[in-house]
Amino acid sequence: MGKVWVEYRTEKELQKIIDNDYLTMLSRLAVGIIFIWASIYKIIDPCSFSKSIWYYHMVPGDIINLMAIILPWVELISGVCLIVGVLYKGAVVAVNGMTIIFIIALSTAIFRGIDIDCGCFKAAQESSEAAWESLIFDFVLIAFTIQLALSRSTKWRLKR
Amino acid sequence: MAIRQLAIILVISTGLGLGINLISPNRIVCFGKYRPLSSGNEVIVPPNAEAGDPPFIALDLAELEFNSGEAIFIDCREPEEFECGTIPGSINIPFDNLPEENLENYIDSALGGCARDKLLISFCSGEECDLSLHLARNLMAIGYTNLAIFFGGSREWERFGLNIERRKNCKK
Repeated sequence: MGKVWVEYRTEKELQKIIDNDYLTMLSRLAVGIIFIWASIYKIIDPCSFSKSIWYYHMVPGDIINLMAIILPWVELISGVCLIVGVLYKGAVVAVNGMTIIFIIALSTAIFRGIDIDCGCFKAAQESSEAAWESLIFDFVLIAFTIQLALSRSTKWRLKR
Repeated sequence: MAIRQLAIILVISTGLGLGINLISPNRIVCFGKYRPLSSGNEVIVPPNAEAGDPPFIALDLAELEFNSGEAIFIDCREPEEFECGTIPGSINIPFDNLPEENLENYIDSALGGCARDKLLISFCSGEECDLSLHLARNLMAIGYTNLAIFFGGSREWERFGLNIERRKNCKK
């Protein structure tokens, strides 16, 4: 009985931390700015971004360009919605989904030995450090996006 | 609710993306084979290509790899054609002169003993010549793992204004 009570209390305290208004706002700002910042160069230069997608050897050639045109805007709008607090739940789902896709793409690239810097195949252990750094960054990012998904804070949203 | 909002975000993104791409100076085509180029080139794949062949690459990627300096370009034509004009720095391994025996030693020696996973890009003069495909198949058979075929060849390279290395003047 006592053990169950302790677990319940721990869970409640954890939920309290997750629901913290300041922590949630910090996550919104961090994730929002990262997504907006990441989208800008892709919107300006879709050609380079389409090459980057091609490098992963995961997407059929026919839809690479379409993806390169639309995906950066999803990033930008989701980032803005997160910070401003409009279409908030949709934006949270979007950033979580995109981060999971990025992690899968990077992991498979590393596993298959694709050097994402040049798009060429190398031995897996020689995959560029950039891929590992990006993967670690994405795992940190997903910690924030999961916090946003679990948080019940509605403070500082334009539309609740 | 979240799914409805996500759908709204996707619709707005699609509209903005396609709309801005229409008026952008850096616009790219929406569909088609991977060809994000302003020069309008595309991956050329010969009709005799088979599943399992090394990948065919377009001019943009050939140029990208050329600029990176990481790849070895292999011109598969006769030495006379090679001397008349080729992609700068490429190695000449005429497919028609390949030996019947000790092919592996011959190729290894021609490539200067490079690593088996070094990126090798074979090419010849253009669409009418499939020596690059045959050489790439041979390279794959003897254990080279990182291969690509630039089927546009030296003609497409020159047509899009890229540098050509000429060892002698030849009539075209």
